[in-house]
Amino acid sequence: MTLLGAIRPDDWNLPLFLHVLGAMTLVGSLVLVVVSLASARGGDSAAALRLGYRSLLLGVIPGWIVMRAGAQWIASKEGYDDAEEPPAWIDIGFITSEPTLLLLIAATICAGIAARRSREGGRGFGGLNTAALVLVAITLVVYVVAIWAMSTKPT
Amino acid sequence: MYDTLLFLHLLAAFLLAVTLVTYTAVALGAPAGGRTLFVADRCWDVGGLGTLVLGIWLALYLEEYDFFDGWILGAIGLWVIATGLGDAVRRRLADGETAAVSTMHWLRTLAVLGLLVLMIWKPGA
Repeated sequence: MTLLGAIRPDDWNLPLFLHVLGAMTLVGSLVLVVVSLASARGGDSAAALRLGYRSLLLGVIPGWIVMRAGAQWIASKEGYDDAEEPPAWIDIGFITSEPTLLLLIAATICAGIAARRSREGGRGFGGLNTAALVLVAITLVVYVVAIWAMSTKPT
Repeated sequence: MYDTLLFLHLLAAFLLAVTLVTYTAVALGAPAGGRTLFVADRCWDVGGLGTLVLGIWLALYLEEYDFFDGWILGAIGLWVIATGLGDAVRRRLADGETAAVSTMHWLRTLAVLGLLVLMIWKPGA
């Protein structure tokens, strides 16, 4: 497994690069969202909420798309995209990526509405902020499991 | 052992991404507060140390790589450049200087992208 991991065909490199780049953007942006939304609960809510919302919209969602497209590309290169019984780590990858997109979209909508209400000086954005924060935190934990599966490749 | 080292090495690399994304937001004009920058800087401290130590450990652990392979030395060089630029950005922001901060950040981002390219393509391995 170690040797297989170290040596791979050259034409796998670009899809793997895109997959990892997308995943790093996704996770990096998610942590920024968590910190921003958590800060919004304590202090400067309008600016922090806006940063959290924009990070979701401009970092997390595009990162997810690049990560997922890269995953599909390299899975097809490795012949796993139409395999009847793919390895467990491939299954974990699909299970952790696709449902979390729904959570991320829901979090983006919650954070967007909360940011707008906060900017307009309205009330009632605290619950939406908390909902977005919880959704993003759950997603982040799921992605740590995905990183573990992608690096250790359990069978 | 290899799996654990690789997992922790990757996790450390993802922490570097947290720093880059946060400072990208700052470079693009986002009003990041002190707490946000504090978290980003700690992520670089932990992620930087983790990528370097675990990366060298992996290079020594795996028989098919040598510490003096060009791509490993290149990666260490880029790591030093990225860390130096990051320190300069941090110091300048703490002193209230904003000149060249964005340029330094983008150069650090390029250095980390270069690191990722070396880790994936491993030229000469």
